[in-house]
Amino acid sequence: MRLEDYNPLENTQYSILDPSGNILKEEDVPNLTDEELLYLYKTMLFTRTIDEKSLSWQRQGRMLTYAPNTGQEAAQVGSAYPMEKGDWLVPAFRELGAWLVRGIPLKNILLYWYGNEWGSYMPEDVNVLPVSIPIASQLQHATGIGMANNIKGEKNVVLTYVGDGGTSHGDFHEALNFAAVFKAPVVFIIQNNQYAISTRRVIQTASKTLAQKAIAYEMPGIQVDGNDILAMYVATKEAIDRARKDEGPTLIEAFTYRLAAHTTSDDPTKYRENNEVEEWKLKDPILRFKLYLQNKGILNEELDEKMKSELEQEVLSTFAAIEDKSDTEIEDIFKYHFEVMPSQLEEQLKEYKSFLEGGK
Amino acid sequence: MTNTLNIVQAVNQALMNEMDIDNTIVVYGEDVGVEGGVFRATIDLQKKYGVERVFDSPLAESAIVGTAVGMAINGLKPVVEMQFSGFSYPAFNQIINHVARMRTRSRGRYNLPMVIRAPYGGGIRALEHHSESTEALYAHIPGLKVVIPSTPYDAKGLLIAAIRDPDPVLFWEPKRIYRAFKQEVPEGVYEIPIGKAKTLEEGTDITVVTWGAMVWDVQKAAQIVKDKGIKPEIIDLRTISPMDRESFVESVKKTGRILVVHEAPKTLGVGAEIISIINEKAFLYLEAPPTRLTGFDTTFPLPRGEHHYIPSPERIAKAMVDVVKY
Amino acid sequence: MKFEFRFPDIGEGIHEGVIMKWLVDEGDIINEGDSLAEVETDKVTTEIPSPKSGKVLELKASKGEKINVGQVFITIEISDTEESTITKEVVEEETAGVVGEVIASSMVIPSSTENIVVQPKATKNKVLATPVARKLAKDLGVDINTIKGTGPNGRVMKEDIYNAGKNTNTTEEGVNVKSESQQTYAYKVPVSEPIVVADERIEKIPLTRIRKTIADRMTQSRFSIPHTTAMDEIEISKLVEFRKRYKDTLKEEDINLTYIPFIIKAVIIALKKLPEFNSSLDMEKEELILKYFYHIGIATDTQRGLMVPVLRDADKLSVVELAKAVQDISMKAKENTIELSELKGSSFTITNYGSIGGYYGIPIINYPESAVLGLGRIVKKPIVNDEDDVVVAHVLPISLSYDHRIIDGASGVKFINILKELLTDPDKLLLRA
Repeated sequence: MRLEDYNPLENTQYSILDPSGNILKEEDVPNLTDEELLYLYKTMLFTRTIDEKSLSWQRQGRMLTYAPNTGQEAAQVGSAYPMEKGDWLVPAFRELGAWLVRGIPLKNILLYWYGNEWGSYMPEDVNVLPVSIPIASQLQHATGIGMANNIKGEKNVVLTYVGDGGTSHGDFHEALNFAAVFKAPVVFIIQNNQYAISTRRVIQTASKTLAQKAIAYEMPGIQVDGNDILAMYVATKEAIDRARKDEGPTLIEAFTYRLAAHTTSDDPTKYRENNEVEEWKLKDPILRFKLYLQNKGILNEELDEKMKSELEQEVLSTFAAIEDKSDTEIEDIFKYHFEVMPSQLEEQLKEYKSFLEGGK
Repeated sequence: MTNTLNIVQAVNQALMNEMDIDNTIVVYGEDVGVEGGVFRATIDLQKKYGVERVFDSPLAESAIVGTAVGMAINGLKPVVEMQFSGFSYPAFNQIINHVARMRTRSRGRYNLPMVIRAPYGGGIRALEHHSESTEALYAHIPGLKVVIPSTPYDAKGLLIAAIRDPDPVLFWEPKRIYRAFKQEVPEGVYEIPIGKAKTLEEGTDITVVTWGAMVWDVQKAAQIVKDKGIKPEIIDLRTISPMDRESFVESVKKTGRILVVHEAPKTLGVGAEIISIINEKAFLYLEAPPTRLTGFDTTFPLPRGEHHYIPSPERIAKAMVDVVKY
Repeated sequence: MKFEFRFPDIGEGIHEGVIMKWLVDEGDIINEGDSLAEVETDKVTTEIPSPKSGKVLELKASKGEKINVGQVFITIEISDTEESTITKEVVEEETAGVVGEVIASSMVIPSSTENIVVQPKATKNKVLATPVARKLAKDLGVDINTIKGTGPNGRVMKEDIYNAGKNTNTTEEGVNVKSESQQTYAYKVPVSEPIVVADERIEKIPLTRIRKTIADRMTQSRFSIPHTTAMDEIEISKLVEFRKRYKDTLKEEDINLTYIPFIIKAVIIALKKLPEFNSSLDMEKEELILKYFYHIGIATDTQRGLMVPVLRDADKLSVVELAKAVQDISMKAKENTIELSELKGSSFTITNYGSIGGYYGIPIINYPESAVLGLGRIVKKPIVNDEDDVVVAHVLPISLSYDHRIIDGASGVKFINILKELLTDPDKLLLRA
């Protein structure tokens, strides 16, 4: 496909597989090996397993507030997969699938939600920024990283995510504007999961699609069926290639659905009907891809079960290594604000430690 | 070798000196490229270093700072400008939520060697919003450094130090005295350490702590009180955060009295912090209550009322005498 | 009057322009608002209107010439009723700023002395003290920096300040009395309930500093020293006689000879025999400090209250010298010309309430001394002499209060006995004086 040929104002979605896993456009099917396809599937399963376990732990009081990715696995995994070594990932907070693709250790991810900053300490070769909670603010960081690549003459590309709610924020517009003006090699992915907490997408903006906002900034915009992992892969890959060739930024709207709640502190039954959820369950990205792979003959129930069981084991054992062992060290609270701790922080740390040791 | 420069020129020279030897420094902001900045702080930089390293950005303070965060993460040293400190607030979200936190959030994996420069302070008969002194807001936030020079020599040395600092620095330049005087400034590079105050005058009767343009008003006031036989010790704080507490604490141990003078509004201004520190560290040496003389708890008046707001040398002198005579 | 029109910063942040075309000639009469010239800048080409009405005097730049902001480019003759411009000082730099006016000047300020080694700060040797303590010291007229503190970290406490008021600098005498300042209250006065007088027929008088000090000192003494008082009457008829004989002679020397000098002499002899009466007790160190100097405090009633001027080294003065000294010092106290140093350092105090008519008393010891002698009024009384005759005699009633922790009743009696022996018979006083 060609991004330039796509007109977001026509309000169509780019897709390759239908909800039942059947191929819509043979010529668009990407050239991926069986291993790669199974990897994509397994990673989506992994994402869902982690979500299910985390939600369950949260309800048991063993995990803090958690933001699940249920239903958005394809949008995340499919978009992150075409990235190359050295490329940057700048997330918001609901990109578990993408983090797994980019190599953030599961331990780190769980540690973050468990409430310890060390979860955001990325390994040396993992170019991923920590979770960014102020909505859309991370998009500017992504643009800046991209601008720096241009200045340095490096060919790395930046992939960044935002939600449908985030597209209303000034930061979104400033970031896209800057990226286009400076031809930053950034791919902006909107995970349009139809809800910003309880606010439906139609309230967020009068625009018919989010992808068409790209037109204002003079960059390609495309709406993709976010639950179609192959479509996400193809569209994002093209955008990444574009950026790497110095052709500038792209906006991709991944049209998907948030099957679970906004976070564990949210009750979706207050603002949406169950039959809507049921409808979208039929478009489940994992189900769709499973059917496709089964049709292709590279997946069967046995393998599926085996994968699920392995993944569950990994999640359980990783969490066991963290649970009840992850209190923040007192020094860590103070040590990382500056390269050299200023004297008043040293003093405060000393005072507090003395208090804990039963001093006067 | 030295040259005689005013503060704006010193800032300009600091940038040039550093950009000569460090090609990871990029300078951008509104009107800083072609025009060289509305106060000419970045004049000739684009000519010398090219449009890739010195450029005009779209009018978006949040993105100016937000993209600087990204650039700093990716190995560059952005020195961005807020056209006036009063316009830094759209970037407040980025500054408080990301600039100040990226290092600790990532446990040191990412740090931001960036500088945000802005002209700050009142006294230039300007329109609304162009006379702000809200250094306390930023100094209150853990993870930020706030630096305010008062002379050309200090401005250049501190800006170079700020550029070289591996952590983010807000470099607020007192615009009232941008061009009010010149001073000998070495032509080459030199650093003045951030976090170190400077004693401008030694004295025995009262410690006066101030910074920015107020340094000059305090010195004028000092002349007035010296005629009455009072010998003030004047300290230019230079860095608001992290503050050189020792400088004024040791001074108060000697004089027993302290007056803090700042333009910014009184309540919850930096003066309150200094006095609290005196309370913690020098209580038993006090001969008079620690006192502050500041702007009013009002919005900075428009030009026709401006002269009432900034403490005049006469008001400062009276405050000094009152404290000494307590 | 000549008006110099300086090329303005027309608000675009420009710093120079080029005259494209003059729209007026020298000699033209112009009105305010008329366009003077077309000027091209980086940003715009614009006409510059005249701020004044008048006659064009001189075009100071030619067509095509570059002019700087602030440079005079045309002069206009205006009528004298017009205000003249405030000629700004010569500005070399642009004053660009886009809003407002940044004052520009070529004034050069002194160079920084940053790298010069600054002499280390000479810190006064200051004591640590709370603001409350400092105020107390100021009120009592004590230099707080000379007081050694007994509080945490050597902090000067209020007690130290009280004590300093009585401290003797005795290094000349060679006796170490540093420990005096370390004496503290053994007993803390309990906090009383607030006093409420439910009657309107009252007047509230705020305590003066002196009264407050006296009150504090009395409390301190009474509550930390277990007082006991021994009283007696001394028959001094012979002394009265003695005095009568020499009173007038000394009057010619302007000296009023009272009984006090004799009593002081007798007291000093007693103190030398019973040194515990000339001492201070340090309960904290569990030490009794005997003093071998004799500074006698004479309690004096003044308008401002009780003051105790001190006769230093009273043992070295003759009766006449004592008489003079007492006279002088009482005068000074009453006239309030007395120095602080003259109110400090007594080792034993005498209080003469008899001078105003009192008879017996139970005097309070002048803390941190160990004894005080009260003198009543001398009366004529019938007494029984050795021959069992009843005769008229002059009798001096005395009351001796002393610190019962270190002075037993027997010593009290002994002290009084010495005084009795010496004052009853002036010859004996002369022998021992």
